[in-house]
Amino acid sequence: MSAAITCANVNKTFRIPLDRSTTLKYRVTHLRSSSRYHDLHALDDVSFEVPEGQFLGIIGHNGSGKSTLLKVLSRIYAPDSGRVQINGNVSPFLELGVGFNPELTARENVYLNGAVLGLTHAELDKRIDGIIGFAELENFADQKLKNYSSGMQVRLAFSVAIQADAQILLMDEVLAVGDARFQEKCFDVFARYKREGKTVVLVTHDIASVNLYCDRALLLDHGKLHADGPASEVTALYRRMMGQVSEAEDSAAAVDTGDRWGTREVEITGVRLLDIDGGTHRVFSAGAPVLVEVDYAVHGQVDGFLCALRVDRSDGLTLAQPEAVMAQLSMQRQLPGATGTLRYRVDALPLLAASYVLSVTLHDEHRGHTYDHLERTLAFRVIDEKSRSGLVELGGSWVVEER
Amino acid sequence: MATSVETHIPTDAGAATAAEQRRGTLRRHANLARELAVSQFKLKYTGSVLGYLWSLFKPLMLFAILYVVFAKLFHLDRGNGSDNYIFQLLLGIVLFTFFQETTQTAMNSIASNGNMIRKAYFPRVILVVAATLSSLMTFFINLVLIIVIAGALGKLALGWYSLLTPLFVIELYLLVLGVSLLLSSLFVFYRDLGHIWEIFMQLLIYASAVIFPIGLVPDRFKVWVLANPVAQIIEDVRRSLVSTRIRWSVEFMGPAYVVPFGIIAIVLGAGWFVFNRLTPRFAEYL
Repeated sequence: MSAAITCANVNKTFRIPLDRSTTLKYRVTHLRSSSRYHDLHALDDVSFEVPEGQFLGIIGHNGSGKSTLLKVLSRIYAPDSGRVQINGNVSPFLELGVGFNPELTARENVYLNGAVLGLTHAELDKRIDGIIGFAELENFADQKLKNYSSGMQVRLAFSVAIQADAQILLMDEVLAVGDARFQEKCFDVFARYKREGKTVVLVTHDIASVNLYCDRALLLDHGKLHADGPASEVTALYRRMMGQVSEAEDSAAAVDTGDRWGTREVEITGVRLLDIDGGTHRVFSAGAPVLVEVDYAVHGQVDGFLCALRVDRSDGLTLAQPEAVMAQLSMQRQLPGATGTLRYRVDALPLLAASYVLSVTLHDEHRGHTYDHLERTLAFRVIDEKSRSGLVELGGSWVVEER
Repeated sequence: MATSVETHIPTDAGAATAAEQRRGTLRRHANLARELAVSQFKLKYTGSVLGYLWSLFKPLMLFAILYVVFAKLFHLDRGNGSDNYIFQLLLGIVLFTFFQETTQTAMNSIASNGNMIRKAYFPRVILVVAATLSSLMTFFINLVLIIVIAGALGKLALGWYSLLTPLFVIELYLLVLGVSLLLSSLFVFYRDLGHIWEIFMQLLIYASAVIFPIGLVPDRFKVWVLANPVAQIIEDVRRSLVSTRIRWSVEFMGPAYVVPFGIIAIVLGAGWFVFNRLTPRFAEYL
């Protein structure tokens, strides 16, 4: 496999003027002050290669240089030094809906946006119905975009963007928008890209989607390439860096997103989703066995505690809230320092294809007090080979009685 | 230190040659310029009741004022070379308005598209070309209207030489393109340029013999006035469309006729050079 993207020793420095001189008067009256700059090393000797067909995630805190890197790859920024080599067509957009004009109709915007993607008017004539249909906007095609809800705009932008014939797609926070159904479509499109062997570079804050979609991840820190490796390892490292999880914790125990609260007399130290062979996964087949493991550590005096799980579809609809009553804990296990693992086993996952997110709570037996709560901590996805529609598999059986 | 960003597009054996691919790229870019121009044209007139008519009304209003002042008060219409003064003036105003409005619109074309420039890659020059093209559409409509009206009134002076008109229009377009490249790239960094250019336009309308016939200028200054490509183009278009009694600028200028063309070549070259030099900085600065 040849490299789709080669990035060798790339440097990019921004000169941030201490005061910006956009007027001639300033230029003329401050002739000698041109040295008043502050240099910002946005990219510092970054090198990596992306083989054809790989899904690469780029993560890092704000200002780590990840968006700058993407812009250098897409030729929006020229690197100060170093070499960027791209083998193949690159999709010109980094974000959805770039160049959309609110005063134009959806149809006109499709032609305009399509032209930026490199599609001719004739090609778009053939595709326009499909694009509008995919965005589910058939009845609004001739409305001005400013009358659209933001969700409608995103759907339109997305259905145009996927028309790109590029082999290499660069995306900046594309997944940060949209509801559960939009996320579904993203996933389907990503799956199609994977089948077609396209190369995708994804910049995002959302660690869950990096784990879900990417084979590999780069972690940038202050413009330097801090880590490069399998997505799960790099995201675990990033979480530790961000202080969301302490060093001692199992890297496979993911704490992805969302809030955490509670008094921490008992602390959740890890949450894992396992398949039947004990491997941690983020994607499961409908009907397959799934094991949820919750690691805990007792820090204070507790009389006993309950563990509750909550499974939401990614748009927020709560599907299940199984609870474990832990009332019969021995005194020893309530003493500070005790640790253990709670397991919740589902023999056959009744959920159908969608993205889900797991929340975990440890609270006292009367549910009046929360020890530790991880809200929307672990994203996972269910795929269904049989492509059934609906939300759940009822698991019933058919009987025919012929008279 | 070596800097390079390369894009290799793998070629399927026998399917597409490099030349074909270049042609394909060029076609896609031309298509983008056209789509941008069409939507800008639409946007300019959406939301206004009279729409495109404003683009006709503005030069007509300017014409009416200038006509009353200069023809009725100062009697420029009876002087030397004032044959068919009404249409000379009208033609001059339409040509000049095209130059003025296009350069002013195009100046903004980079600065006002910061979002696109920061978030998508395509050759930036397309934005400038699109801005000039959408003004070109308005200009063509205005020009055709004048010719039709003048024709209806029997005020056209057509001949084989009238076929030169498209060449002068192309000449004017090349000048507009060069100026637009220069202004649009510099305007990103120096916003004062907008005001400076506006003032310069007020001077240029007098320096370009829009209002007065070139015949009124003393002979020894004619060469200097016509060295200005805008004046030369206006005068030659007048000669080829509305009056046979005025003279081609080459008749006044002799060998100096190369000067306006030289100026256009220099402006175009400088515009291209400056634009390409500044392009990498657009995304960072906007």
